[in-house]
Amino acid sequence: MMDNVGGSSSNIAENSGIIREQDRLLPIANVGKIMKQILPPNAKISKESKETMQECVSEFISFVTSEASEKCRKERRKTVNGDDICWALGSLGFDDYAEPLRRYLQRYREQELDRANNPPKRG
Amino acid sequence: MRQAGAYSGLLCGGVSGRTGPHSLPLARIKKIMKNSGEGVKMISGEAPIIFSKACDLFIEELTRRSWIMAIQGKRRTLHKEDLASAVIATDIFDFLITLVSNSDSHAVGGATNVMEVETIDYS
Repeated sequence: MMDNVGGSSSNIAENSGIIREQDRLLPIANVGKIMKQILPPNAKISKESKETMQECVSEFISFVTSEASEKCRKERRKTVNGDDICWALGSLGFDDYAEPLRRYLQRYREQELDRANNPPKRG
Repeated sequence: MRQAGAYSGLLCGGVSGRTGPHSLPLARIKKIMKNSGEGVKMISGEAPIIFSKACDLFIEELTRRSWIMAIQGKRRTLHKEDLASAVIATDIFDFLITLVSNSDSHAVGGATNVMEVETIDYS
């Protein structure tokens, strides 16, 4: 298997449809940082556990996206939106996430509306 | 003049940039969503933003539960076995059991296992 470390092979990888390892996972530094901030200061995190968490997060995204996408298909809609993600989380047992995310989504939309109604003066 | 809101940092860097203090790259999240199945047609701009937050919550929960396993093992370093134990012990993480059981597969040098995601109906 081709080693895809580094960006020079991105065109080849993209053209041949290979999902590059680095495109399949969220960056280990970001994932590690979130893990670290939830643990006590004296905790250590092995590299292997960060790598396993990277895999788990990608699987979580795919799992929830598939559920959301299926809902869209049944409703004959083409675009997966934020509401679909929140619904899918609840449907898959992540009820504790769905409610704070609905509030987060609402704030995001309110902010989008605010930006639309108040364009920057220098824009 | 409009004052910066409490959430105005949400959109720093635009949709393909980062959001918030524990941000995850939105472009990468979108790519993972697109690769989750042929059924995923279009993804709204808000969906990766919601997922960024959802992934924060997911990483935090799995890390916290894994840490409990490490502590029970009288260790201060989080190992991948702790993640596997946390996955096995937690119902909503059932979809990860195969993944954490085979988390060495990518190190063997073989092709990446593409797991079929089963939609679990809890109702």
